[in-house]
Amino acid sequence: MKGPVRQSPPEAVLHEFGIANEIYRVCRESMRAHAPAQLLRVKVAVGELSAVEPDLLSFAWEAIVGEGPDTGAALEIDWRPGRQYCPTCRADKRQGEGSWLRVCLDCGAPLETVGGAELDVIEIELAPAGEEKAG
Amino acid sequence: MSFTVDVRRRALAANDAEAAQLRRRFADERTLVTNLISSPGSGKTTLLEATARRLAGRASAAVIEGDVATELDAERLRAAGLPAVQILTGGACHLDARQIGKALTRAAFPRVDLLFIENVGNLICPTTYDLGEDFKVALLSVTEGSDKPFKYPAIFARAEVTVVTKIDLLPHVRFDLAAVETQVLSLNPSATLLETSSATGEGIDAWCELLLARAARKRA
Repeated sequence: MKGPVRQSPPEAVLHEFGIANEIYRVCRESMRAHAPAQLLRVKVAVGELSAVEPDLLSFAWEAIVGEGPDTGAALEIDWRPGRQYCPTCRADKRQGEGSWLRVCLDCGAPLETVGGAELDVIEIELAPAGEEKAG
Repeated sequence: MSFTVDVRRRALAANDAEAAQLRRRFADERTLVTNLISSPGSGKTTLLEATARRLAGRASAAVIEGDVATELDAERLRAAGLPAVQILTGGACHLDARQIGKALTRAAFPRVDLLFIENVGNLICPTTYDLGEDFKVALLSVTEGSDKPFKYPAIFARAEVTVVTKIDLLPHVRFDLAAVETQVLSLNPSATLLETSSATGEGIDAWCELLLARAARKRA
């Protein structure tokens, strides 16, 4: 049991870097069926409750694609707010920005949360390899 | 000409698949797995030491320990009688399912009733990664202040159990237990709140009974 299990780079960095790495991994896997191709753009859905900061994710993404084969690939973030519904009041209850309150302020009943937890790769845009990048 | 390919996959699909595999394994082995998440210094390792003393002879337990550096915590837990594997993340702020899978391949890793995963000290990043656990446990020490659930809502919303630690220090700090309870329950109405002191042993019985009851339910 003694002796540590060591984590190897490049995952050994900040949270959003790990997420960006996973997004790129999903892109590469999805690109295999269309090889050879270059990644121009990836569209991701990021939920308000996903604990991911969009600016940091963009920053990490730039570092991930870096000077590699998909350099310059754009990360398009589709921000998804969470919807909170009170089954007792039968109404949507909008809370403050970034709020996680899960009880209704009007009647005290637990709120149902719909959406906002997304962290999904929606689509990728590719250029067949050898072609000039779309302007 | 560029073209668009529909993907529609979870960004963490690889982690989720590994976590699902771990969850099946833990179900087969009837091991109750908890993922302990808190700030550094809130008493995760100390709670596990106290837990080991209380569970001795009643249930078998082991720990997977996550830290940026050093094997200090794993050594402490081994000294307390718990088999422990240390994962060094080398700077990463959380554990992921692949690391747990890797730690379990350690030859001597025993099959146990209770497996504790002590995550890297951090209230934010570890909440996103499923480790195949039965439930997450958030720890909050009274020295951290009672405003933390609303300031770091993700973990308190997702943790099935919130353990307030170091309550023996309550006479010396400004900490509003009722306010914490209100915040935690408004983030997660079905959460269980426990108050503990690993130093005096207060509340450790209730914590261990909760674990044993959940472990028994998993074995049934």
